[in-house]
Amino acid sequence: MKPLPKVNIDDKVFTLKYYVDEEFVHLKIKDPRVCKECLEKPCLSFCPVGVYRLDRQGNITVGYQACVECGSCRVACPFLNIEWHYPRGGYGVAYKFG
Amino acid sequence: MGKELEYQVVVVGGGPGGLAAAMTCARAGLSTLLLERGRFAGAKNLFGGVVYTESILSLVPDLFSEKRLPFERPVTEEGWWLLSEKGVVKLTHTEAERMEGPPRAYTAFRARFDPWLAQKAKEAGVLLVPKTKVIDLLKEEGQVKGVVVDRPRDWEDQEPAVVRAPVVILSEGVNRLLAQKAGLIDRDFKPQEVALSVKEVVQLPKGEVEKRLGLKENQGLAVELLGEATLGLPGSGFLYTNTTTVSLGVGLFLSDFAQKGIKPYELLENLKRHPVLARILEGGETLEYGAHLIPEWGLEGLPKLSAPGVMVVGDAAGLVNPLFREGTNLAIYSGIMAGKAAVAAHEKGHFGSSSLALYEETLKSSYIYRDLQYFRKLKRYLQENRAWFDTYPQLFNQVLGLYLSAQGRAKEEVFREISKLIRQRRGMVNLLKDALKAFKLFKGW
Ligand SMILES: Cc1cc2nc3c(=O)[nH]c(=O)nc-3n(C[C@H](O)[C@H](O)[C@H](O)COP(=O)(O)OP(=O)(O)OC[C@H]3O[C@@H](n4cnc5c(N)ncnc54)[C@H](O)[C@@H]3O)c2cc1C
Ligand code: SF4
Ligand code: SF4
Repeated sequence: MKPLPKVNIDDKVFTLKYYVDEEFVHLKIKDPRVCKECLEKPCLSFCPVGVYRLDRQGNITVGYQACVECGSCRVACPFLNIEWHYPRGGYGVAYKFG
Repeated sequence: MGKELEYQVVVVGGGPGGLAAAMTCARAGLSTLLLERGRFAGAKNLFGGVVYTESILSLVPDLFSEKRLPFERPVTEEGWWLLSEKGVVKLTHTEAERMEGPPRAYTAFRARFDPWLAQKAKEAGVLLVPKTKVIDLLKEEGQVKGVVVDRPRDWEDQEPAVVRAPVVILSEGVNRLLAQKAGLIDRDFKPQEVALSVKEVVQLPKGEVEKRLGLKENQGLAVELLGEATLGLPGSGFLYTNTTTVSLGVGLFLSDFAQKGIKPYELLENLKRHPVLARILEGGETLEYGAHLIPEWGLEGLPKLSAPGVMVVGDAAGLVNPLFREGTNLAIYSGIMAGKAAVAAHEKGHFGSSSLALYEETLKSSYIYRDLQYFRKLKRYLQENRAWFDTYPQLFNQVLGLYLSAQGRAKEEVFREISKLIRQRRGMVNLLKDALKAFKLFKGW
């Protein structure tokens, strides 16, 4: 497959409006050890807003604040290793156009 | 919320499906509560998108006496653009009649359309409570009897509040978690059963939407983008014109993003840089980016549509037709059908499976269900004939490119080159087979 142009996803996320819930983290990795064993780490690519990233130690980090609640990671993590909820009522993304 | 609230109907989700269901119930005089987790109806929703007048008229008959319609532009030209890496073959349709009379379809934004429809629902008597997430269903004696929400009962009692209702209508969208809890379906969907789409709304300089897309003030274009838009993978992109912006997006099966390691926003960027689109978007500013899933599980993943005390409508049931860009209208029609079944059940005072099955019966005898059956065949065909996504868009570009630049050359030579191309890319026999199969499929419509 041909290489695609690189994009800084933070620039796209910047266009979105969020009401971040500081008290309830709605996405969690169930077991970080499973991520270590997961070779492909597809969550790094399919998440449309780049919530899942690798830190320097090679651990997956979850920037839940940027989530647009699409539901992809709930089913596309091959090990179903993500505990997935919607944010609490009123929190999370709020589209201006949609 | 007080201690034990009770309504005749509770609807979960303020998208077109839930709003249609709630309006139908409220207009028949039932006390109807609609719960929406967003800050307002529409806050969480994103689509292409095109809405269909007929479906909206079935809820708001006096639509055209509105001072301000909740739309962007009437759709006066639609079709497909077949993209090669640098070129395009445009297959679009428009006719004089579509420029006159009430338009059949409009482009719209969900964060504007849904609140407008929600206002109509409130006027019909629906109690709409936003910022409230339904977290569970209340079940008693094997029957759904209400919902549990993520708000405390009151100041003293921090337990989640319960709202009772003999009929609960689920219109929660593609992530049908409550339908699963209700036992209407026993599994989650798989990544190959949904498409993930990303979209940008791009503001163009004043007057440029018209100029660049050859439109007048009250005209609009809605095209699906095939070929290079998806790198030849099954799926499509779209370009829709709004008043002063365009909506540009692209979607693939979620499984393809995951397995091939494609980043959705890079796929979209690739599309934005296509020379034809880059020219349209030049000088534009992205006002909003977003993403949403489309349910494509079709009949294979269709949940039971009703069980004692509960029904499921719209995307949550998977009632979309991606090839014909239908979704909001099917949500509305199924919402109305479920609403009518709720009204009939209240008249009888009986909410067991047999009463609400009326919804299932109406839906199954409607065109929505016939289309689902048909779509199953079409989907299988497209999976087996992926040439429609990669080979053909390219081939059409090359062949037309050659044909149209044939001036000053011996035409026999040009045609020989064209047939060589076809032989290399697909082969004449395969091409005819593909066409025949496609023809048979459409004949079976
Ligand atoms: C990229 C894209 C392009 C599309 N293009 C078109 C198009 O051009 N034309 C067209 O007709 N259709 C299109 N569709 C499809 C269309 O958007 C859907 O079919 C339609 O929105 C379905 O309506 P719905 O009411 O069933 O669900 P939704 O519109 O998804 O509404 C569900 C609602 O439920 C709420 N909710 C969910 N869970 C809870 C909970 N637990 N508690 C409370 N509230 C909850 C959500 O916040 C949301 O408001 C497109 C879809 C996508 C993704
Ligand atoms: S795909 Fe799942 S298991 Fe793999 S790294 Fe991501 S979260 Fe962990
Ligand atoms: S729900 Fe969607 S946007 Fe949110 S983290 Fe998962 S994949 Fe990313």
